[in-house]
Amino acid sequence: MAYAKYNNISIEGISVCVSDKWTSLYDISEQDEKTISKFMKRTGVTGRYDAGVRQTSADFCYSAAKELIEKNNIPLNKVGVLVLVTQTADYNTPSTACVLQMRLGLDTNCIAFDVNLGCSGYVNGINIVSSLLNSVDAEYGLLLCGDTTAKEKSQKYRTRLTNSASMLFGDAGSATLLRKKTEADNISILLNTDGEGFKALITPYGGWRNPDVDDPSELADYMDDIEVFNFATTKVPEQIFNIMKINGTTIDDYDCLALHQANLYIMKQIQKKTGFSSEQMLVSIDKFGNTSSASIPTALVANFGDDNSDRVIRIMGSGFGVGLSWATIDMAVNVKNVLPVIQTSEYFEDGYNKIN
Amino acid sequence: MTEREKLAMLEEMLELEEGALNVDMELDDIEEYDSMSKLSLIVLMEDEFGVKLDANTIRGFKTVGDILKLMV
Repeated sequence: MAYAKYNNISIEGISVCVSDKWTSLYDISEQDEKTISKFMKRTGVTGRYDAGVRQTSADFCYSAAKELIEKNNIPLNKVGVLVLVTQTADYNTPSTACVLQMRLGLDTNCIAFDVNLGCSGYVNGINIVSSLLNSVDAEYGLLLCGDTTAKEKSQKYRTRLTNSASMLFGDAGSATLLRKKTEADNISILLNTDGEGFKALITPYGGWRNPDVDDPSELADYMDDIEVFNFATTKVPEQIFNIMKINGTTIDDYDCLALHQANLYIMKQIQKKTGFSSEQMLVSIDKFGNTSSASIPTALVANFGDDNSDRVIRIMGSGFGVGLSWATIDMAVNVKNVLPVIQTSEYFEDGYNKIN
Repeated sequence: MTEREKLAMLEEMLELEEGALNVDMELDDIEEYDSMSKLSLIVLMEDEFGVKLDANTIRGFKTVGDILKLMV
């Protein structure tokens, strides 16, 4: 069983950054009002923050990370781990995490790399950063999770997408600051993968397996929504029950259920099957859309970011999706360390300048 | 459960007027039977009839009657 437990890692801060432009679905979609209203009712999405033309996931993650470093006065040479979970990296190579190590001004005594995971990426990322912190001489680690899926899906060549997919996603980047301590609240994590379902959510062309496309529309993503729905509503409740069984907890031990904001219908099914109350379940998909690996921190920030109270909450979090991969976390965080949402129009030109 | 009662369940799920469906109707001709409705159908079948629908079964449905056959 891929179960991990840490008693020496604390979540010192969570922040999320989006663009300064929020748009209602009525102004995004070309579909008729009735269809859009129906979509809103079922998925819970009412609008989203769209990345600016030049803004990337890395730009959002950078702003979120910078805020955490500044607010917590973190000495830059003490951050020894930086992991970026994204499916919309700045470059195919190198890992965008290396660019962000430089941009954040971190010491070169730092491990930095990207992880290609989607909606299970936040929980997987917490596990990666926590285990790395335990294996190297570093006090702090940064987990950055971000995707500009809305931008990706609105590109003109992605014409094979269903219309609904073009309305579901939002763009966001998050940062979570982890610290190695002598003692901390327990973090426990349960992880699963089932590659049998790899075709259920896939961008089949454009990589090295199928590099050539006759028509740019071939570059589109595919989603088998029925298979994904059956997967999410079966495997996720199972995993949540399993982690509670291992930890000897019940739903009453948790202040909230922070699910990946897949769509409200799926989330409600999972909430119902696990027995959590609708009050416990955090929702941010209404305003932010499905923000992929950033959606669990987005749900936390949307619900606690403006709450300055000094109290520790226990969170049952679960991310699930592309892979197929699913991961559940039992963790605690002080509400005062969950920062308000940051909005920015900032982007960076730190890339490669072509030399003729 | 009578055939009409089963049809009524599907009509409610699809937010259609009572009596809008009959067993011979082709699903492709029902505008309301879209991708999200198929997810609602999965939930309805599991909650009400204990039937777990997979993707292939749902793709195999051609008419309203095909769904009704599993509502037992």
